[in-house]
Amino acid sequence: MKTIAIYNIKGGVGKTATAVNLSFLASLDGANTLLWDLDPQGAASYYCRIKAKIKGGGKKLIEGKSDIEAAIKGTDYENLDLLPADFTYRNMDIFLDDTKKPLKCFKKLLQPFSEEYDYVFLDCPPSISSAAESVFAAADILLVPTIPTTLSLRTYKQIKEFFKQQGIKQTKVLPFFVMVDRRKNMHRLIVKRPPSFMPSVLKTYIPYASQVERMGVHRAPLTVFAARSKAAQCYSSLWDEVRLKLHKL
Amino acid sequence: MPDNPHSFVVPDDQSIPALISLLQDSFTVHVLPETIDERVFYDTFDWRLYKKGSAFEVHDDGRSRKIYWRKDKDGELKIQLGLKRVPHLAADLPACELRQQLQSVISVRELLPRIKVRIKRQSLNVLDKNKKVVVRLNFDVYWHSASRLRAARVLTKRLTIKPVKGYAKDYRRLEAFFLAMQLQPAQNNIMKLALIVSGVCTGEYTTQLKLLLDPEMSTEQALKKILLRLLEIMQQNTSGSMHARDTEFIHDYLVSIRKTRAALKHINDVLPQAVNANYEKFFSTLDELTEPIRNLDVFLQQLENYQADFETSEWQQLQALPEYLLRSRAEMQTKFNESVKSSRYRENIKQWRDYLENSGTESFPPDKASQSVYKLADELLLDFYQQTLQQGNVIASSNKAGGGGLDKLRDTLQKMLYLMGFFHSLYPVGKMRALVQVLTDLQDKLEESSALSININMVKAFIKQGKDEGAVKASMQMINILQQQQQETVKVFKSCYAAYSSSANQKQFKEMFVDYHSLSNTGGKIKL
Repeated sequence: MKTIAIYNIKGGVGKTATAVNLSFLASLDGANTLLWDLDPQGAASYYCRIKAKIKGGGKKLIEGKSDIEAAIKGTDYENLDLLPADFTYRNMDIFLDDTKKPLKCFKKLLQPFSEEYDYVFLDCPPSISSAAESVFAAADILLVPTIPTTLSLRTYKQIKEFFKQQGIKQTKVLPFFVMVDRRKNMHRLIVKRPPSFMPSVLKTYIPYASQVERMGVHRAPLTVFAARSKAAQCYSSLWDEVRLKLHKL
Repeated sequence: MPDNPHSFVVPDDQSIPALISLLQDSFTVHVLPETIDERVFYDTFDWRLYKKGSAFEVHDDGRSRKIYWRKDKDGELKIQLGLKRVPHLAADLPACELRQQLQSVISVRELLPRIKVRIKRQSLNVLDKNKKVVVRLNFDVYWHSASRLRAARVLTKRLTIKPVKGYAKDYRRLEAFFLAMQLQPAQNNIMKLALIVSGVCTGEYTTQLKLLLDPEMSTEQALKKILLRLLEIMQQNTSGSMHARDTEFIHDYLVSIRKTRAALKHINDVLPQAVNANYEKFFSTLDELTEPIRNLDVFLQQLENYQADFETSEWQQLQALPEYLLRSRAEMQTKFNESVKSSRYRENIKQWRDYLENSGTESFPPDKASQSVYKLADELLLDFYQQTLQQGNVIASSNKAGGGGLDKLRDTLQKMLYLMGFFHSLYPVGKMRALVQVLTDLQDKLEESSALSININMVKAFIKQGKDEGAVKASMQMINILQQQQQETVKVFKSCYAAYSSSANQKQFKEMFVDYHSLSNTGGKIKL
C-alpha cells in the first residue's frame, strides 16, 4: 500500500480536485484505491456523491472506537472507495491530542488496510497542525499543489522548512504547479524556471480551466465527463509521473 | 457482506438478455457498453504455477493491460502495478518480493503464455433511489480456442455480483433475487475449464520415465520401451533447448541423452552391435555438445551467490567473468543449434524412432535379449551397488579424499540411479524410493564437488584470456573461494559415505536386488 497525501497550508489551490482525479485514475489502473476525505468541508465526498458523515462522528473513528471499515463507502467507480468526511473533523487536532501517539494516528488507522488497498489518497484540510503532522508521518508522498505566484511559493518554502526542522525524511515532498494561467507572465516564468528551492517539482502542471470547476456540477472526476479536456489530460500525465515516483520509492 | 465477488453459472438454456430484462423489472439498472476482454494465463513448460495453485495472468480490456499474480492457492490474485510486462524469467525482475515469490515456484524456468481466454462482458450497475451505484454485475461469456485452426468454444457463462462497500442490504437483495432463480455457484476456475476443453494435461510432462515394465517382459522389449520414452523426453525439450532462455530445457535434454547412453552401454548385447555402436556414437557427440552449455548455466546461476564474499569494487571488476561465460555460452549454443537443425540430426532421430517402434527381434546373442528383464535388472543393479562400495571404500580408507576417485564414484552412482529409474516398476515402490534417496544423498555431495571443479576450470580459462589486472586478481580470489568450498564438500563426503555403506543399508540393497525376485539367482551368496 502506498499513501499519497495532497496537502498545502493554503486553501483553494485545488487539493480536492487533485485528490479526486488522481485517485480515480489510480482506480482505472485496476488498483484498489481508498480516498480519505480529511477536510471537514467534505468536498471530496460531495464530488463522489457520498454524504459527508461518519456514523458516531470523527472522534470515535480517530480513537479507534468505531469500525473504520464500516465507515468506508464504495463510489460509483470500480476499485475506488471513499472514507467520507465528517463535520466534526474540524476538531481533528483535539481528537488527535487525546490519543496516545497523535503523530502516528493516521498511519496506525490505515495499517489494517495495507493488504486491501494498493493506494490511499489523503485529501487534507489547509492548515499546519497536529493533523498535518500525522498526515506527514503516514504519507509516502506529499503532493503539494502550488499556484505559480510569490505568496504560494513562500508557503511551499514554509512547508519545506517545517520538514527540515522536524527532521521528516521518510516522506517525499513533490510540489507541482496548478491553476497555471498562460496569459500571466509571472505564471509562465515560474513554470519555466522554478525557484531553486523546488528541485523536486513535477514536470506536469495543471492549467487554469473552468472544466475543473465543473467537477462540482457533474459531481464526478474530470475523466468521466471531459476526458479529452486539456485539464483531464494534464491530471492523467500528473498521475503517470507520480506513479513512476511511487514505484521507485 | 462478502468482500469478494460472488459468481454463478448461467445455464446454457438461459439467455443473458432475458436475465437482464428480468433484473430490470425489479431493480433500477444502468447497462454499460459491452466489452471484449482477453485473459492470458502464463505458466512454465511443466505447469509449475498451476500445480502450486499460483497464477500469473494478464487481463487486457482493449484499453489497458493489467498483470496479476497469486503466490499460492491460499493467496489472493493481486494486481502488480509496477510491472509493465510479463518477465520471461524471475531473474528478469529487480530485487523485490514478487521476484522472490515467483522464483520459489518457477525457479529458473521461463514463463510462457499457456492458455488464452476471451470474455464477452456485459456490465451493469444497480442504482439506488439517488442513482448511486450500490451493486455491480458482470454477465460474462468465456470463449476458448485451443489453437488458431480450431473453432472457439464457449467455456462457461457466468454472472458475477460485486458488492459495493457500505451497501450490504442492496447486495443481499440482489443475491436473493438470483438465488431464487436457482442459479448454481461457479465452482471450477476458468483456467481449469480451459484446460479441460483444450485436452491439456498439466501432469503430462515429467522427466521421470514412469514406465511400467512387466517382470517377465523380454529385455529387448523393455530396453526399446525405455529408449523410446527417453527419445520422447529429448524431443519434448529440443525446441526449448535451441531457444536457450529457459535453461531447464537443455538440462532435461542432456539428462535424457545421458540416460540413453547409459542404457545402450550397460544393457548391452541386446540390440545388434551395429545399431548400438552407431547410436552410442551419435548420442556421445550430442552429449559433448550439450554438457559444456549446461556447465556454464550452472555456474552462471550460482555466480550471484558469491557476491557477498567480495568487496563491491572487486565484484565490479569480476563482472568481466559472467560476460566471458555468456559469450562462451552463446558460441556453444550456436554450435548446438547448427547440429540440431542439420538434416543429419533429423534423419538420425527419425531412424532411431523408427527402429525402436518397428524393428523386430534381431538381437545378438538371442538368449540375453529374450531373458526376463527382472533378471537383468537384478544383476545390473547388484553389480553397480558392489562397484560403488568398492570405489567408495578405497576413497574412505585413503587419507587423501579427492581427485579422480570421487569423479569415478560419482559416475557409477549416477548410472546406478539411471538404471534404478529404468527398472523401478519391477520392485516395491516404497522400498525402491527409499534406496533412491540413499543414493541421491551421496550423489548430491559428489555432484557439488564435481561442479566446483568445473567452475574452477572455467575461471582458470577466463584468467588465461584476461588482460585486466583487477579482473584477474578478483578471479584468483574466486578460485580460492571455490577451492575452499570443494574441500568442505570432500570432508562432508566421508560422513555421507559412512551412512551410505552402513550395514543396514547394505542389507536393504541385498534384500531388494537379491532376495526380492528370487534367492536362487545367486544362491544368496554375494559379497557385499
